[in-house]
Amino acid sequence: MAVDRVLVGHKGIVCLVVAAGAEGSRYACRMCDLVTTLGDATLTLPQENADAGADASGLAQKPDSLSVDGSPPAVAVSESSPDPMAGTARLESGTAEGTATVTVADARLASQQELPSRRGRHAAERSRQPVSPVSAVTMIAATGLLLVAFAYTAGRLGHVSSPWANRAYWAGQAFILVPTAASLLGRRVLTASETVAVITVLTVAEYFAWICYSPAAFTYPDELEHWRSTVNVLQTGGLSGANYLLPISPHYPGLEEVTSALVSVTGLSLFTSGLIVAGIAHLLFIYVLFLLFREISGSHRVAGVAVLLYASNLHFASFDSMFIYQTLALPFLGLTLLAAWRLASKPPAEPRVGWLILAVLAIIVTVATHHVTSYVLVAALVLITVAALLTANWRMAAWTAVLAVLSATATVCWLVFAAPETWTYLQPFADESLQSFRDLLAGGGADVVPISAGPLADRMLSDIAVLAVSALLPVGWWQVWRRLRHQPWTVALAIGSIGWYATVAIRLAAADGSELAGRAATFVFVPAAYIAALAVGHLASAVVRRHARAVAAAVLVVVLMLLFDGLANGWPPYWERLPGSFQVAGSERSVEPEVIAAAEWTLKALGHGNRIATDVGSYPVLGSYGDQDPVRDVAYLYTSSVYTLADASRAKLQALRYIWVDQRLSQSLPASGQYFPVDPDAGKYKHPLPAADLTKFNTQPGIDRIYDSGNIVIYQLPGASHGP
Amino acid sequence: MGRSQVDLGMTAAVAVLTCVAAAADAPVAVMTMFGILLFAAPGYLLGQLLLGSGSAGLERVAVAAGLVFCVPVLGGLVLYAAGVPLHRAAWLALLAGVTLICDVALFLRRRIGGPAAPDQKPAAWRLPSRHVVAFAGAAVIALGAVGVARAGVAMQHFPGYTQLWLDRPNHDAPTVTLGVDNDEGRSMRYELVLLHNKGIVAVWTLDLRNGRSWQHPTQFTGRYSVTAKLYRLPDLSSAYRYVFMNGNGN
Repeated sequence: MAVDRVLVGHKGIVCLVVAAGAEGSRYACRMCDLVTTLGDATLTLPQENADAGADASGLAQKPDSLSVDGSPPAVAVSESSPDPMAGTARLESGTAEGTATVTVADARLASQQELPSRRGRHAAERSRQPVSPVSAVTMIAATGLLLVAFAYTAGRLGHVSSPWANRAYWAGQAFILVPTAASLLGRRVLTASETVAVITVLTVAEYFAWICYSPAAFTYPDELEHWRSTVNVLQTGGLSGANYLLPISPHYPGLEEVTSALVSVTGLSLFTSGLIVAGIAHLLFIYVLFLLFREISGSHRVAGVAVLLYASNLHFASFDSMFIYQTLALPFLGLTLLAAWRLASKPPAEPRVGWLILAVLAIIVTVATHHVTSYVLVAALVLITVAALLTANWRMAAWTAVLAVLSATATVCWLVFAAPETWTYLQPFADESLQSFRDLLAGGGADVVPISAGPLADRMLSDIAVLAVSALLPVGWWQVWRRLRHQPWTVALAIGSIGWYATVAIRLAAADGSELAGRAATFVFVPAAYIAALAVGHLASAVVRRHARAVAAAVLVVVLMLLFDGLANGWPPYWERLPGSFQVAGSERSVEPEVIAAAEWTLKALGHGNRIATDVGSYPVLGSYGDQDPVRDVAYLYTSSVYTLADASRAKLQALRYIWVDQRLSQSLPASGQYFPVDPDAGKYKHPLPAADLTKFNTQPGIDRIYDSGNIVIYQLPGASHGP
Repeated sequence: MGRSQVDLGMTAAVAVLTCVAAAADAPVAVMTMFGILLFAAPGYLLGQLLLGSGSAGLERVAVAAGLVFCVPVLGGLVLYAAGVPLHRAAWLALLAGVTLICDVALFLRRRIGGPAAPDQKPAAWRLPSRHVVAFAGAAVIALGAVGVARAGVAMQHFPGYTQLWLDRPNHDAPTVTLGVDNDEGRSMRYELVLLHNKGIVAVWTLDLRNGRSWQHPTQFTGRYSVTAKLYRLPDLSSAYRYVFMNGNGN
């Protein structure tokens, strides 16, 4: 009888054996509630090593590495058994001393007869854990969420700078992160369903925290871009409505289609529908990641730790879950990879045609939803194909090659026929990244001015996180080389994880490197998290015999630092960690009623699509609520006390019709470090802009002052008429 | 109807009832309930059609959820390409149509294929009562957190403002629209003065409640400048807001 999976935990007691033969008896581990199914088989486990390996890592083993044969009643553990958490290798190398024999056909998994003392210990340990950790984790995380909500409310009510509000925020996050990390990394091995429950709690709690930041309307610039596109679909019934804020958006309409469909059939508001779509898509992505990691590693524990590490990426709680097209595309990237795994698996997953259709559908949805994700999908499939060829896994190579060709074809067709503007849209980002790399290779990069350097503690946390991941990845690669170099997916993940170092380089070299690196982290952290999880498992088990508690605590501390780094240096940035009153040239805190009212007035009075100069804080509001075409490179209009003929000529060349002036630019330094979307002086401002630079338009012949709401004044340039 | 067809009956009923509710202009609460069920139904049925019992547990849930999103994305593209406007009727027809087609396909397959295979029957899923209590409590706390956050938004104070504008739709228009909007958070009393080439031509006293606006078209040929000054009574010493348009001869 073949054994599918063996888990050894809890001081060496066999916790789970899932047998392929259906005739076996079923036994449940009293401690972890797992079910054991075996026929007439005997498990022979080296006692000492089983004990040793059980403490820090729930040990797991690949199905084909074990066999339980009914005739010679013993477990044969193969030498090459891949064991991501490094446990089973010690099973093989164990000495004869202390061997525990579990004869399944006789006893109730040894706990009653062969191992009475163990049963006592087992039961005693269980009695010390009367409450399931999942229940406790859920309740504590919910309490943490409440604390975060209170902190946000305190910020809104004027306590945004008070230390206790910030402490409440971090305490709330600790309530969410510490128990989830501790339960996934702890010495008590969670069952598969408990692991899923814990990662669900983590994902949902952070998503709710995201909602609590802005619970009444979308305020993040990227969300406002897609809000505009969805409004266009709802109003026109078409997919090609112009979006001046994100012109590429109508060419990738997946998110807008799903959201407008939900709005239409339920009657829910666009905001609520958007939250539902983004939230489910985000959770689906995490589930698919978990499924992939579990299939690749053969261990739900490794998968859980890998997902936990993935949650430490800078954008997990923000850009990976907000109402933007990437959020919806990510799960389809994952579903395509899952289908590829299933199609090439042995024995083949049934029905194969079903998985193939699913793969094709997922590819098309990915391609129609987000450009970069579709390119990453092609790259991932090519990488797995190469890894499969390197490991001589022809079956895998064939299937992934087929899917890679399909993905590439769909992507190219979409680029050519549906979204030819994509390259124009992406080219500036690509050029900037390439230039940054060239500078870095040429020894430059030192003159890069950080636009807005965070507090020292945040930067230290960031440095520690970079060091920790940089150190973990080589350990993980070593594990791959030692045990898993014949597995194509693991090899592909190891190769892909090298990209993490590229993101570090971008972070250091590019002017807005943190944002670029953060965007890339969404993808690069998938392989990096898995390889780091292998390293964590290895480190935890390598020294577990002597320092189990200390090692477990150290691993927990390192992972928690990574998770807190993700929050501290992710989004929202430190200067808007708590919502609050209006902030000059900020992000969410620049979205306030007076700005929204002015933007709505432009749409009502001037029509849509007018080219308007504005500051960085009002930019997304004007483009979304106002449906205008804000222009990015306009700093020259606001940084001089004289409106020169050269300025007028340049404005004419830019086809500017209106100038939006927020008088508050002369009252505060920019929170983000820059006043304008394209700002040559970003990060260099020492004083607010002089008031004269903003009021000079009042005395310029030919310029009309057509709107005044106190803080916001709109000027009309000579020759302007309404409409695009 | 055999037990294995119950899901088909339920999804078909959801499709029909949602369309009926939409046609009858049912309340939002009803539409929300039926709409969400209809939104999810095609994903479940397509998952059954494509994978049958070939997957289980979390994988089945993930595949079904993915297919839920596939239908509006791909269906929307097809409808748009066919020139169908993507309004409520189109989405309802798409989701209900896919649901009913999948129902028929699954029904036929189950009939032709005989009774459902007994393997892969989902294991009984029991949640211990303490977990139920914990999860329910956590859900209540989480919803409370969102409530606290929303209360914070409602209580947040933003400074009030008054909008004054002078709008001329195009260069050839003989009039401009003068408008005032009060969003100060309370009723306001204003005096609005209209000047042509610095000469007063009209004065209005406005009593505006919060959230109310006032508009007035006024002649503007472009041969002189027009200025509007808004005073917040009783202060007439300095203009609270002002706007102007230059004339060609200015």
